[in-house]
Amino acid sequence: MSDPRRLVPGQPPSSAPGGLPARAGRADGAAVERRIGRLLEVGTLIAIGLLAVGSVLLVLSGISPLDPEWPPLDLGELPADLLALRPEGFLWLGLLVTIGTPIMRVVAATIGFAGTGERRMVALGVGVLVVLGLAIVAGSTGA
Amino acid sequence: MIVGLLLAAGGFGAGIFGSLLGLGGGILIVPLLTVGFGVPFREAVGVSLVCVIVTSSAAAGVYLERHVANLRLGMLLELFTASGALIGGLVAFLLPERVLAGLFALLLAYTALTMLRRGRAAAPAGLPVADDLGTADDLGAADAAPDPAPAPFADTLGGPDYRPRRLGVGAAGSLGAGVVSALLGVGGGIVKVPLMHLAMGVPLKVATATSNLMIGVTAAASAVVYLLRGGIDPYVAGPTAVGVFAGAMVGARIASRIDVRLLRLLFVVVLAVTAVQMTLRAIG
Repeated sequence: MSDPRRLVPGQPPSSAPGGLPARAGRADGAAVERRIGRLLEVGTLIAIGLLAVGSVLLVLSGISPLDPEWPPLDLGELPADLLALRPEGFLWLGLLVTIGTPIMRVVAATIGFAGTGERRMVALGVGVLVVLGLAIVAGSTGA
Repeated sequence: MIVGLLLAAGGFGAGIFGSLLGLGGGILIVPLLTVGFGVPFREAVGVSLVCVIVTSSAAAGVYLERHVANLRLGMLLELFTASGALIGGLVAFLLPERVLAGLFALLLAYTALTMLRRGRAAAPAGLPVADDLGTADDLGAADAAPDPAPAPFADTLGGPDYRPRRLGVGAAGSLGAGVVSALLGVGGGIVKVPLMHLAMGVPLKVATATSNLMIGVTAAASAVVYLLRGGIDPYVAGPTAVGVFAGAMVGARIASRIDVRLLRLLFVVVLAVTAVQMTLRAIG
């Protein structure tokens, strides 16, 4: 079976797209995938931990989750909410970690591909991050 | 107090069902919240997106560590799914909720039909389905033999025994999957897996794992819009997401001991009834 990465225009047959030896490129890629996998697992566990603590505090506080009014996201208030064990502090932080985890995955993958010299993959990662940045701008301006 | 526990219990049920039937939780969470708890449709979609990210991130982490998911292909396609999700997230705030409910009813009906067909075909898990739509060989994977000629970009995206084809089709389909995900709060695997497997010639197992990997970023692109526009209720999202996560974990552990055929039939009935309720909601 051919190694697809040796068939790159302008590269010698034994090289990966970034010019690294193919075997080293594969090993680096596997290491990057392992690190990203662990990042996703740890991020999810932290997020779920925060959401679980927030949910328990919510239940104990007697607040109805179906109350049409809920506290808005205020990053400045987060530390005070957490220190005061208010449910909204843990819930908002948990939601931010939840949404931030896959975004951090893209950042980590982009850095990893930069390390192995895969320029096209770096460009793709940057492209995804630009779209996510646009989402933040679009969400903020339409609030 | 009771409502918080009920939300967690409902999420737990959705997580188990979704895990056993190979679906993301979104298709169950939106009806659960809207029909079961009276949550407005757009807020239910926002909460569902959070739950979808939680389950997909956990699964994708395992898939990546085991080298089942294709990170390179995923990063190419998620550029388009995330773009679609951004568009869908913005459009969701322009459309009346009745229109969104109508679209969701169509998705439920489509999912029910797909599951019914899968049940009738009774194909062993892991084997390609819907051969009439073309297989990897039909789409040109067979000529992926060693070739001294300079290879295209697709060659760098493949695995040891396949090379993705029709990247343009994959990109267009991914854009559509992203829009659907953001509008309806689902992972979009029901679009992406057949797209990668049947149209692009990616093995089913890899397509499923890669779709899971992409769901997190796709849902994050629209969840950011929902979050910043006040479309995610933390009081509903917290207990529901914890329940879904716990349910998905339990479902993954008991999957091998459960006869899924009866469960699938029951699920089709639930989807059909929910589709009718969503349709009624859509027509007021």
